[in-house]
Amino acid sequence: MALRTPVRAETPAGGRTARRDRRPRPSAAGARIWTWLTLPGTVWMSVFFIASLLLVAAISFGTTDELGDPRFGTNLGNLKALADPAYRDVMVRSLGYALLTSVICLLIAYPVAYAVALHAGRFKNALIAAIVVPFFANYLVRMYGWSVLLADDGPVLRVLRAVGLAGAHTKILNTGFGVIAGLVYGFVVFMIIPLYAAMERMDTSLIEAGRDLYGGPLRTFLFVTVPATRQGAGAGVVLVFLPAMGDFVSAQFMGGPNQIMIGNLIQDKFFEGQNWPLGSALTMALMAVLLIAMFGYLRRARKDEAEATR
Amino acid sequence: MNPTAPAPAPTPVTAPAPAPLRRRRRRGQRRKPVFAIAVTVVFFVLLYLPIAMVVLFSFNSQKSLTVFKGFSLRWYEAFFHDSVLLGSLGMSLEVSLVAMAGSVVLGVALALGLVRNKGRLGAYAGLIMMVPLITPEIVTGVASLLLFKGLGITLDSGTVMIAEVTFSISYVTVILRSRVAALNPEVEEAAMDLGATRWQALRLVTLPALLPAILASAVLIFALVFDDFVLAYFTTGVDPQPLAVRIYSAIRFGVEPTINAVGTLMLAGSITLIGLALAIPRLFGRRGGLDLISGE
Repeated sequence: MALRTPVRAETPAGGRTARRDRRPRPSAAGARIWTWLTLPGTVWMSVFFIASLLLVAAISFGTTDELGDPRFGTNLGNLKALADPAYRDVMVRSLGYALLTSVICLLIAYPVAYAVALHAGRFKNALIAAIVVPFFANYLVRMYGWSVLLADDGPVLRVLRAVGLAGAHTKILNTGFGVIAGLVYGFVVFMIIPLYAAMERMDTSLIEAGRDLYGGPLRTFLFVTVPATRQGAGAGVVLVFLPAMGDFVSAQFMGGPNQIMIGNLIQDKFFEGQNWPLGSALTMALMAVLLIAMFGYLRRARKDEAEATR
Repeated sequence: MNPTAPAPAPTPVTAPAPAPLRRRRRRGQRRKPVFAIAVTVVFFVLLYLPIAMVVLFSFNSQKSLTVFKGFSLRWYEAFFHDSVLLGSLGMSLEVSLVAMAGSVVLGVALALGLVRNKGRLGAYAGLIMMVPLITPEIVTGVASLLLFKGLGITLDSGTVMIAEVTFSISYVTVILRSRVAALNPEVEEAAMDLGATRWQALRLVTLPALLPAILASAVLIFALVFDDFVLAYFTTGVDPQPLAVRIYSAIRFGVEPTINAVGTLMLAGSITLIGLALAIPRLFGRRGGLDLISGE
């Protein structure tokens, strides 16, 4: 690739010797160019991302003026309000939904990743592409299609009723299960990809060995495959948990007013309730939960790595 | 929200399987995991059915969203005569193009600088570009909204562009970083030995070598930004609004079948783009593009 564009053509022959004489310096000059390349992106991210996050933290101590605009302050009221049962319940529910979503995604992704990575033969790449592509379809459109599918008289419930798995009044939409179904549909791909990668990397002779030692399929799976792919599963749980915890679309489209999550509260404080300081405090609470989860994951991952290299 | 985040680096898709071992097995054939395959089949059906519903009902001749009465293109016609939706489409295209250009320029430069810059700046840059990947979009949205309000910037397509660039830089940098690290710096040095300046070596040797990854990330960013809803929702003004925000309001406050048509068109668009992003590295005769998504 590099050979396609000859450098020589661009350099005047006369300048060549002069430049080569200066060769002892390129490390200094080089360091400078890398700094100049790093700076714009770093400054951009510092201003528009890091500074704005700090602003959220600052506003969460603020108050609103008569017009409803946020004012800086040293008000602890917003953070105290988080302990209010109404908000606390929503946070506990969000945590529960996000955790359940992660578990269900694990239960779906293990068989799928296993079948695709180890038993799909030459269709492996096509299948994994077929899993990834719908994820790039618009999230709202997908979620809307899913809600149509799971509607009270929608195809899924009709099939379940026909085979006797659902009663005449069984509902999925407007229940907590509907919200979780939405979150799973939205984010399951984040579980499949790292698990698939881990299975690809796994030494399949381990499975053979498990079988040879008279382990049944289930035992071999639980005691050989699962431990060997634990890191992929860990990464998947984080990748599903993070967006699930902050989502507000699934609760809106699939859950209705009684199933709101913390994302819905934040949205409400910014768009309907016009209480930005309280919204910021809720955002900080969300961020805190996620940072704790992330921190736990990284510690665990580091420990795993240390054990693996020992 | 991102497939490229802390997932451990997977091996290339073409990892050699220990096939001979399998063939040598003494007793019985390797059994097909019936349960896993059954789950996979159900998974694929449920994965595609919602999308199929949207596509199907976009061609419905009636307003019903549950009963298909007959084929018609009336909802597509309605879309192309809806000036509000067309305005939104235009805005989304504009925002995606600008965000793509901005984040690719900043992200590629950052990736190059990050890999080669061993100092404190490199470490700081490496850290802050990871933060957006673990931040839920709603937090980024709230933060951007507060910043724009705090600076007194009126919300319009410009604020959406800034927020989307911020959101996208990390993706470009993550994709490009491993490619930059895989380059042999001696090729650049050889170019400089042959008389190229550092800048010429970068422009004529390094960037062409990175071109497939740059193009793939550009297409990916375009698709992600065009489809993005949460950030756009928090940073857009009232009129015009990006297409995804319009779709949100339409779904939330009573669905018009026009939305099915818009959704189908967006599906077609994103699938084409993603196919392109996956195919680009192949077109350049490199390894398949999937490692781009699985987070190499």
